[in-house]
This record gives sequence, C-alpha cells and structure tokens, in this order.
Amino acid sequence: MVSVAVARPLVSVFSVEGEGTEGEVALPTVFTAPIRSDVVRSVHTRMALNKRQPYAVSSKAGMQSSAESWGTGRAVARIPRVPGGGTHRAGQGAFGNMCRGGRRFAPTKIWRRWHRKITKNEKRYAVASALAASALTSLVLARGHRIERVSEVPLVIGDQAQTLKKTKSAVALLEKIGAYEDVVKVKESKKLRAGKGKLRNRRYTQRRGPLIIYEKDEGIVKAFRNLPGVELCRVDSLNLLQLAPGGHLGRFCIWTKSAFQKLDEIFGTFTQPSQQKKDYTLPKSILTNCDIGRIINSDEVQSVLRPKVVRKRISIRKKNPLKNKNEMFKLNPYSRVLLKEAREATSKPSQKKQKRLMRRKNKEVKKIGREYYKSIVA
Amino acid sequence: MTETASSTKVPETVLKRKALREKIKAKRLQEAAKLKKQRKERRKEIFKRAEQYVKEYREKERAEIEARRRAKAEKKFYVPAGAKVAFVIRIRGINGVDPRTRKILQLLRLRQIHNGVFVKVNKATMQMLHRVEPYIAYGYPNLKSVRELIYKRGFVKIGKRGAWSRIPITDNRLIEDVLGKYGIICVEDMIHEIYTCGRHFKKVNRFLWPFKLNSPRGGFSRHGKRRHFIEGGEFGNREHLIDRLIKKMI
Repeated sequence: MVSVAVARPLVSVFSVEGEGTEGEVALPTVFTAPIRSDVVRSVHTRMALNKRQPYAVSSKAGMQSSAESWGTGRAVARIPRVPGGGTHRAGQGAFGNMCRGGRRFAPTKIWRRWHRKITKNEKRYAVASALAASALTSLVLARGHRIERVSEVPLVIGDQAQTLKKTKSAVALLEKIGAYEDVVKVKESKKLRAGKGKLRNRRYTQRRGPLIIYEKDEGIVKAFRNLPGVELCRVDSLNLLQLAPGGHLGRFCIWTKSAFQKLDEIFGTFTQPSQQKKDYTLPKSILTNCDIGRIINSDEVQSVLRPKVVRKRISIRKKNPLKNKNEMFKLNPYSRVLLKEAREATSKPSQKKQKRLMRRKNKEVKKIGREYYKSIVA
Repeated sequence: MTETASSTKVPETVLKRKALREKIKAKRLQEAAKLKKQRKERRKEIFKRAEQYVKEYREKERAEIEARRRAKAEKKFYVPAGAKVAFVIRIRGINGVDPRTRKILQLLRLRQIHNGVFVKVNKATMQMLHRVEPYIAYGYPNLKSVRELIYKRGFVKIGKRGAWSRIPITDNRLIEDVLGKYGIICVEDMIHEIYTCGRHFKKVNRFLWPFKLNSPRGGFSRHGKRRHFIEGGEFGNREHLIDRLIKKMI
C-alpha cells in the first residue's frame, strides 16, 4: 500500500519512435487513492448487471385454453380440465405447472429489476481504487497479466501513439515496451466456451489483454482494435468493467502521456477538488499509516505496554489428599509429622534401632544386677 | 544473526527488544524472589497453625472424656455441650416438591440429590431443617467426617456474581486469596472454622461449594427415604450417626 505521505514519484514516458524514454511525468494522485477491493467488487457486481437484456417466457404460454375444474364428485382430480370433446385434448388437465401443456411455475416476467443504480460517488471510488491498483505490479501480476518484460508500471507511452494508424506499428510498439506477451497470452487462450453460452452467441472465451488509455483518438483505436485482448479507453470515460474485470483489481493499463497527465484534472488531488467532476475530491484512507506491524513495534506503543500476563489455569486436576501423600503435604505441611507419628505408633522399630534398644535395656538390667550384687557383698 | 566482522550492524529494533526483555526478566526475578520468601513464611505459619489445631482437638477430646469420667465418679450427670454444626444431606430428588420445601432447600443450597452442606445449629436453622425433614438426612459430624469431606470433596466458589466457578481445593492460595482477610489461609483453618463453628463460619461455609456426594455404598435402609431415621428409615435428624452415612457417601 502506497502511503499518502510519500512524495510524488516520477514515471518515465516511453518513446514511441526511438529507443528508451523521452521524459518523466509526476504520478497523478489517483494512483495513491485507497485500494478498496470490497468497494470495487460490490460496484462491479452491480455495474455488470446493467448491460443485461430482459428475458421471459411468453405471458400467454400455457394459459390459452378455456379449461375449468370439474369440481368434486366425478372421481377425478380437481385440476382445471379442457372442455369439449372429440379429441385427445378434451378432459385433459390444463393451466397447472404439473400439467402437460400447462403454464410453468412462476413464469419469468420482464419487469424483473434488471439494472442497479449505483451512487455516483461509489462508482468514482471504485474507479479510483481500480486505477490505484493498476499501478501496483504485484496486483497486476496477480491478475494474470504477462508483464515480466515491462520495465515500469504504470506504463506511459508518448503521445505519438495516439496517431498510430497501422496495426503493424501497434504490434511493434507493444513489443518494444514489453507488453506484447500479454497479447500473446490472449491469443493462446482462445477456447470454446464451456456450457450453453456456446449456443447463445458467446462461442469463444479468451483472456483480457492490456487496456490502452488515450486522450484523443487520432488513429490509435483503429490501430489497436484488431489485436486480441487489447481494449481501448478514453481517459474521460474510464470504465470500471474494464479497469477491474470480474471485480478483480489490477488490469494492465498502458497510458499515453496526455492521458496520464489529464488524470490530475479529472480526479483532482486529496486537497484540490476535481476540475471535471463536480464537487469531487479523491477519497481518503481511514489509516494514514497502514503498516500495522510497524505501529505495534514502534517505541511509542512498546514503551507503554505492560509485560505479558501469563494466566495460569486456576484449576488443575484434583488429587485426593487423603490418598495422595504429596497432595496432602501440599495442603497441610503438618501432615508429614502426623504420618510419622502414626507410623511409629503402629510399627516396630527398625532392626538397628531394636538392637540399640536391646543393648540399652541389657545395659540397664546389668547395672541393676551389679548394684544388687554389691549390696549383697557389702 | 551471523558472526561475521564486528562491524556487522544489528538492527535497532532487535537491540531494543533485547533491552526490554532483559528489563522485564529482571523485574520478574525480583518479584519471584519476593514471592518465594513470602510463601516460605506462609508455609511456616500454616505448619504452626495445623500443629496448634491438632493439639486443640486432642485436648478437647480428652477434656470431654475427663468430664464424663469425673461426673461418673461424683455420681453426677455430664451433659455434653449441644452440637454447633450440623451436616445436612438432601436425600430426595427434585420432582414433586412443594413450593415451601423447595424454597427452604434452595436457601440451604441443597439443589440436587445427595448434595451436602454444613449448617450452623441455632433455633432458626433447626426450624428450617424441621420443615424439610422428609427430604434430608442430617446430624452432627465429627472431626474425621469434616476433614474427609473437605479434603476429598472440597470445592470452592471462585469468581464473581454471575460468573462463579466450582474450583477444586488444590492449593492453599485459593483459600488465602478469598478468606485471607478473616485470617483463614489454609485448609486446616477452614476445617477448624467449620468444626468449631468459629466467628467466620458463615464466610467459610459460603466459600465452600455444596458437597456433591455419592449415593450411599450399600444403599439406604430397608424403609429408606420413606421413613424417619427413628422408624428405621433415613430422613431426619440422626445426630451423631450421620458419620456412618457420610462414610458411605463420601
């Protein structure tokens, strides 16, 4: 996303006659308009409805009989039946959608709402977005255009292109600027359409090639129009259906110099309103800085963040302290003392301790014996 | 980052991040050390209290026995102090309960069959228990019952209004966080408060989630829930014999 605050870059103009470039122009502000694929998509879907021709079944189909229901009591279904006699048709069901020769369910009507109104500002927003997208090589490549050989996007060619008369010279020009591969792509993509469209005058499909935008037709249209996939458009009347075919952003556009320079006049800048469109200034993006990553990692944000709080789970699996000694000790540190007491109360002292106690007892017994002996002897 | 010449420039953001992380780490270690010391002191305190309680319980027991013996020796009667705490178990289900009984059981927090709660014994609560007698079995638990209930089936109510959780008692810190201001910091404190019906009995009791007990191992008696305990059934006040029921249901 191109930031609004960027200084206006210069776009080189490729010369039609000689080699290389013949100068530079400043990038019109339209190409820095916010790229709203959602707006483009919704406007495109509505706009694409507007070229439709109504279709409907005949309003009389299936209803051109004087059928009446026989009512109840005749052991037949109550569907309206054709009156009369002497022919197969008599007594047959009519009118219903289930009947042979009856009118269909919900016959299509011509007063279906075929077209959609789109607010002017929305349409202009979509066109501005589509133009901005056409200036990003990644979007143009993603849309499928073969612009690997093209040296610069947006691609601007000198005004002499407007005076081209021969298709041969048109091809030569496209080859020179590296745009002919896109045309080749279109040529090779012509296939039979899948589906019924084949039988409805839409026999072949092919890809879309470059869109050439000019300011004044001095032969350019006739020169380029026979090339497959190449479309031409005047700057004054840019068509969203051409700038974002299928609602997808990033059509490969080739501009003539005067067309390119006229864009500022047609769309204006963010501060200066348009000269051609009444009361219109380019839409502004909600965010001035779309680089969320950069914002998050900036000093201003990072310096006021508190450290990450790691919330430990408040409840872990419960262990029974009456059975699990460690769990009991965790809750009641005195439990080990009690356990020890209980163990000592029930068990005998260890071998070593027993021996020690025996020895002490023996010592005491011996002492008593000695004393007695002494008392006797004394 | 590669370890090439010392003149390799490190991105500033990386350096800043590193400095910030080190600062956070130092702070965290400081806090951890402080907490560790605090916890150590706490453990000592809990140990002392548990020791004191054990002594207290034993003394009480001995005092009872001595008093009884003394009375016998003097050919007098020993009247033991009335129970202060009762343990109430709901033994009937939730269908077909009349509104008054339903409300009282709700107030006692006995909303499910085999739920148990501790209840302070006074005229008011006794009257409540009497009203719902056919639905409950209650009595006066001994220390062992109280301990076992709280250790094995003890869950506490943590959260705030509208967002309560039933949390198992896995750490004294859970208790201290909520009841610390009443001087109750561990499970032994809670048991003591309940068993001796201390000043903060209500707070501790409310902190405890109603006990969800098993159905009694070995079943109820022959006449079961249909009759009062006195008649060979199960419901009503069975005083000190509640311990047997608790043992079967814990």
